[in-house]
Amino acid sequence: MSELYHDSAIKHVTGESVYVNDLDGGRRELAGHVVYSPHGHARILSMDISGARALDGVKAVITASDIPGVNQMGPVVHDELCLAEDIVDFAGQAVVLIAAESKDIAREAARLVKVEYETLPPVLTIEDAMEKDLLLGTPREIKRGDVDKGLDDAPYRISGTLQTGAQEHWYLETQSCLCIPGEDQEMNVYSSTQHPTETQAIVAEVLGVARNEVVVETRRMGGGFGGKETQANHVAAWAALLAFHTSSPVKIHLFRDDDQIMTGKRHPFKAFYEAGFDEQGRIMAYKVHLHSNAGAATDLSMAILERAVFHADNAYFIPHISVCGKAWKTNLPSNTAFRGFGGPQGMAVIENLIDRIARQLKMDSAEVRYRNFYREQENNTTHYGQLVDNNRLFVLYDKLIQSSDYTKRRHQVNVFNQKNSYVKRGLALTPVKFGISFTTSFLNQAGALVNIYQDGTVLVNHGGTEMGQGLHTKILEVACSELGLPATKIKVNATNTSKVPNTSPTAASSGSDLNGMAVKNAIHKLKKRLTPVAVKMLTEQYPDFEIREENIAFREGYVFDKNFPSRGVSFNVLIPKAYQQQVSLSATGFYKTPGIYFDKSKGKGKPFYYFAFGMAVAEVEVDLLTGHYKNTRTDILHDAGRSLNRNVDMGQVEGGFIQGVGWCTTEVIKWNDKGNILNYSPDNYKIPSVQDIPDDFRVSLLEGVPNPNTIKQSKAVGEPPFMLALSVWLAVKDAISAMGNHAIEPDFALPASNELILKSARKITEKLSVYEK
Amino acid sequence: MSNSGSISFVLDGELKKLSFNSETGIKPTTTVLNYLRSLDNHKGVKEGCAEGDCGACTVVIASPGSDGGLVYNAVDSCLVFLPAIHGKQVITVENLKHREKGISHLHPVQEKMVTNNGSQCGYCTPGIVMSLFALYKNHHQPSREIILDALTGNLCRCTGYQPIVNAAEQACQFQGKDHFTPSEHQVYNQLQALGKKQTDIILEGKGQQYFLPAALESALSIRELYPDAVITCGATDVALRQTKKMEHLPLILDVSAIRELKVYHETDKDITFGAGLSLEAIKSLSKGSLQALFNMLVVFGSLQIRNMATLGGNIASASPIGDTLPLLFVYGAVVNLAASGGRERSVPVEQFIKGYRQTDLKPGEIITSVTIPKPPSKIHIESYKVSRRKDLDISTVSAAFALQLDDENRVKQVSIVYGGMAARTQRAAAVEAFLQRKPWQYDVVKQAMEQVEQEFTPLSDARSDKEARKIAASNLLLKFYQQTCPR
Ligand SMILES: Cc1cc2nc3c(=O)[nH]c(=O)nc-3n(C[C@H](O)[C@H](O)[C@H](O)COP(=O)(O)OP(=O)(O)OC[C@H]3O[C@@H](n4cnc5c(N)ncnc54)[C@H](O)[C@@H]3O)c2cc1C
Ligand code: FES
Ligand code: FES
Repeated sequence: MSELYHDSAIKHVTGESVYVNDLDGGRRELAGHVVYSPHGHARILSMDISGARALDGVKAVITASDIPGVNQMGPVVHDELCLAEDIVDFAGQAVVLIAAESKDIAREAARLVKVEYETLPPVLTIEDAMEKDLLLGTPREIKRGDVDKGLDDAPYRISGTLQTGAQEHWYLETQSCLCIPGEDQEMNVYSSTQHPTETQAIVAEVLGVARNEVVVETRRMGGGFGGKETQANHVAAWAALLAFHTSSPVKIHLFRDDDQIMTGKRHPFKAFYEAGFDEQGRIMAYKVHLHSNAGAATDLSMAILERAVFHADNAYFIPHISVCGKAWKTNLPSNTAFRGFGGPQGMAVIENLIDRIARQLKMDSAEVRYRNFYREQENNTTHYGQLVDNNRLFVLYDKLIQSSDYTKRRHQVNVFNQKNSYVKRGLALTPVKFGISFTTSFLNQAGALVNIYQDGTVLVNHGGTEMGQGLHTKILEVACSELGLPATKIKVNATNTSKVPNTSPTAASSGSDLNGMAVKNAIHKLKKRLTPVAVKMLTEQYPDFEIREENIAFREGYVFDKNFPSRGVSFNVLIPKAYQQQVSLSATGFYKTPGIYFDKSKGKGKPFYYFAFGMAVAEVEVDLLTGHYKNTRTDILHDAGRSLNRNVDMGQVEGGFIQGVGWCTTEVIKWNDKGNILNYSPDNYKIPSVQDIPDDFRVSLLEGVPNPNTIKQSKAVGEPPFMLALSVWLAVKDAISAMGNHAIEPDFALPASNELILKSARKITEKLSVYEK
Repeated sequence: MSNSGSISFVLDGELKKLSFNSETGIKPTTTVLNYLRSLDNHKGVKEGCAEGDCGACTVVIASPGSDGGLVYNAVDSCLVFLPAIHGKQVITVENLKHREKGISHLHPVQEKMVTNNGSQCGYCTPGIVMSLFALYKNHHQPSREIILDALTGNLCRCTGYQPIVNAAEQACQFQGKDHFTPSEHQVYNQLQALGKKQTDIILEGKGQQYFLPAALESALSIRELYPDAVITCGATDVALRQTKKMEHLPLILDVSAIRELKVYHETDKDITFGAGLSLEAIKSLSKGSLQALFNMLVVFGSLQIRNMATLGGNIASASPIGDTLPLLFVYGAVVNLAASGGRERSVPVEQFIKGYRQTDLKPGEIITSVTIPKPPSKIHIESYKVSRRKDLDISTVSAAFALQLDDENRVKQVSIVYGGMAARTQRAAAVEAFLQRKPWQYDVVKQAMEQVEQEFTPLSDARSDKEARKIAASNLLLKFYQQTCPR
């Protein structure tokens, strides 16, 4: 079947796609507004909301004491207040909510809210938190072999630290929610959320009502990337509280700066590592401590840390390894899910390590990577004991080294660098091996509801949400091929908790794996019910042919016996017939990923259903005097199994990669010593623009690699390409390093920002001039 | 002076009149974005930032050009006050599709966005489509450079842009012809007729008075009468006071409709740019003759910003990171000012800038134009901008240099001016003095670099810490040396 374009593509380009802020809540709709703490850490001494309440056009001003239910919105651990009580734990924490006739009035009211604070010293960095012993949750530790002995036995040793930075999601659509109160205690919630079920739960909890009173609907998000996995709940809870207090529809659409100030980011990490290796560059032992800055609450920090620990090996077999992860509580907004979910932070450390090993041994870093790859027959289990099966590393490597002309270009880069003093080129290859499944095993389940109507059209509901990643398009593709109908006959509905309940978040790249299977399951039930009806009709129509149930196929709008393909009954005719015969035309579907488990106490198991692989070669040109870099060429080869939809998958690879490039280069977040974020608007928070894409961008999907046991043999593709951007990061390092003829290890961290490049290059110049003297 | 209390513009193919009074209750500085979104049929336009950085709010403004046709400009509607569209046509994403014989057709830019998978979440898409539409109208088979420039002001977090670039390449193949073409002439005449009226407009509403004079003379008398009125031209700076700082601006004097401020005049010695010319216009006009200015404008904001922003606005902002200022200092440019009663004066830009966001603008005065002497060929002039992201970013450090060498390769005359290193655009006077008469060679430049780092004490802020600023500043001198050193 030909591949579909994004199912909303035409609506996107005509501006007809509807987002929460475009919804009309009716004449009585009010604007919700959040007053938040300006301090990183403070005690609330007094609060006066009388002025705000008195303002014309203001309909409600509420504080923690006005919450009818529980003052909580922590998703996993209940350690996050919906509205601050007596202490504020971060700058941006919600304190007072306002509903007014217009945004302008709400803002004016906000200025009249008087909160008196006594500031307290904030804890902002991992180091600070360590000193104060502010550990969050229990450390995660996974070991194999005897790492200390391994280190002692190794001929060479390297140790170091690596800092990776925060990243703001910068979904184009800021957090938004419209709540419309209904009869009794009903609340209809239109939310831009990746996790409608959890949004439903949190709204019910703060309102103190049962979950069957709350319906959450998500048509589409204007981007999510993890930022709306738990933190969309916040805006929903606030809007619901205001709707409850005013008995009116209330919409909150966060102002960009407020969104950047109030919401969590990708976790900054600090890693301490030590490695032993041989003269071939093979890592014999690797000991790494991964510390994450969790912010003020738990949120998803423990699962993110876990994934970082699982991915500390990236694509490499290491006989003696010890990975320990710790999350630290600080006075920042609670950091949260972001594409890759800790994976990038874990991988960056080992990729940088290999780069260092190569420099020390004066070898090509791609070669060193190759030597350390997981093998196929031996050296093929991870530190947590999972077999790396269907290993695609070697085929990716061989093909990519060829197609990117790596060897020749390495030479050209060296020649260029000999000739130029201040403009240097860098080249790097990096692989990705990414585990697919929620590491919280029970989340690996999905539901669906498929309805067929009497005119033969089909409505598909499933638990996944559409944030641009093309999930609905893939689901549509699955439904079309299972039912043998054209896309014009099938519609994928907005996600709705009253249609499909108890869903998992759309995250961990698993949206199509899980929901695709659930939809397929529902369709199978329907086909099973329709088959006898079809057999009966066909037999009546063609009495001379022996029509059998097991041979019935649904294809191109017809239902027929495979042995007599030209004698079919049209789906449109079959359906009313089935209805008349009192056959149910609606079915639910369910799926759970089989065979995955993980024993936390032992640190062993099979947490992932399978691995996705990818590889990239990036070349950059860095002006070491200005710190500007240009991505001159990137070659990517990615494994998407048998792609469910190439249009969608290519978009995920390219888009994920560029988002990763942002994390690795221009996206810098700083805070002042009081805990206020300095980069809180696009004025000084810089995500990649069109000028930052490679001049020459060659992306392909690996062909001929069906993935066993997944929906149509496809592979998840949402997150893995993000980490391919580490190639750009290390290409920048390679260029800086060329300044000292690769004899001096450059100061390096992530992101390799303009500032970092300037300082690192300067340091090398200084060291060189010392040598000169 | 006449007071119409209303503005007129073309939207959805119809001439619309919008009145500002207590009944309509519209604030004159309502942004075009907020106005459109308040209508039932224009929810396609999106707000992503309200500060000109994301382009989600991009619409196209068509105005009558000198050649009898319409000129199409993409702008960030979040920064455009309603009065700025008076006498113009506003085209939004909803207008691109058209129906013919009962069948609806996508515009070529829309169609290519679909077939190239140019959208994922779709939130940036209406803005991107409008930037592509302006590109389509203005360029036939544009180069990659032109395409990238047209899209720099549109952020997309999902796609990685490649499919959008492909869509642009494939769409712009029809000499800009589309379903707007047949009615262009009629719209042109409509807009011309509005423009001919040449009246000064005064708008009032929601505690605000907004003056939109059509002639310099009346602008100057308003300026004298209301010295507290905030002058605005492109409004790319002023609008932020409302959209970001949530300030209420009670009095506005918008000088963007004044023809006298759009002059361009070239002599053998110099070039004069009207204070109200858009930076995009200046960019095209300066190519070749003032190449350093051109180079700098290439990395100034985005096309949407340059389509609105003016040189007068950049100078009057007197920002320490105003990008034209270092260059204007080294060019020895002069600001020309006017006040009512025919009073005029000219001041070198360097003297006009007094301090952090402070100028020598006297009550009653308006900047009318800027005169830039053409540098003789023996003088090398360059400017550089260091920023975190190369494009659409505010300078961390910027610098402009002018150098003349004597026959023995010694420095005869040198100008070194930095932005971002002090509270105002600052000349590196000690470094200049040090270099005077010295041979223009590496070891001398090395010493001068150390002096640069001593002469300035820049700040650490969100964009950069002070060490990196110092390194950048001294490096730029080396970079200039690299480009000018005798080989
Ligand atoms: C997204 C974005 C990107 C930007 N990028 C850059 C950049 O790269 N480099 C840079 O330097 N700036 C940048 N700016 C700042 C701004 O665009 C420029 O300073 C621009 O030149 C201002 O011109 P304007 O006509 O829009 O000014 P306005 O906003 O209309 O006015 C700015 C100031 O000048 C005064 N003024 C305007 N015209 C006159 C006049 N004729 N006589 C007297 N006073 C007058 C106003 O009173 C006001 O104080 C950016 C702004 C945005 C929003
Ligand atoms: S809303 Fe971002 S540029 Fe206007
Ligand atoms: S498609 Fe989502 S931001 Fe561009």
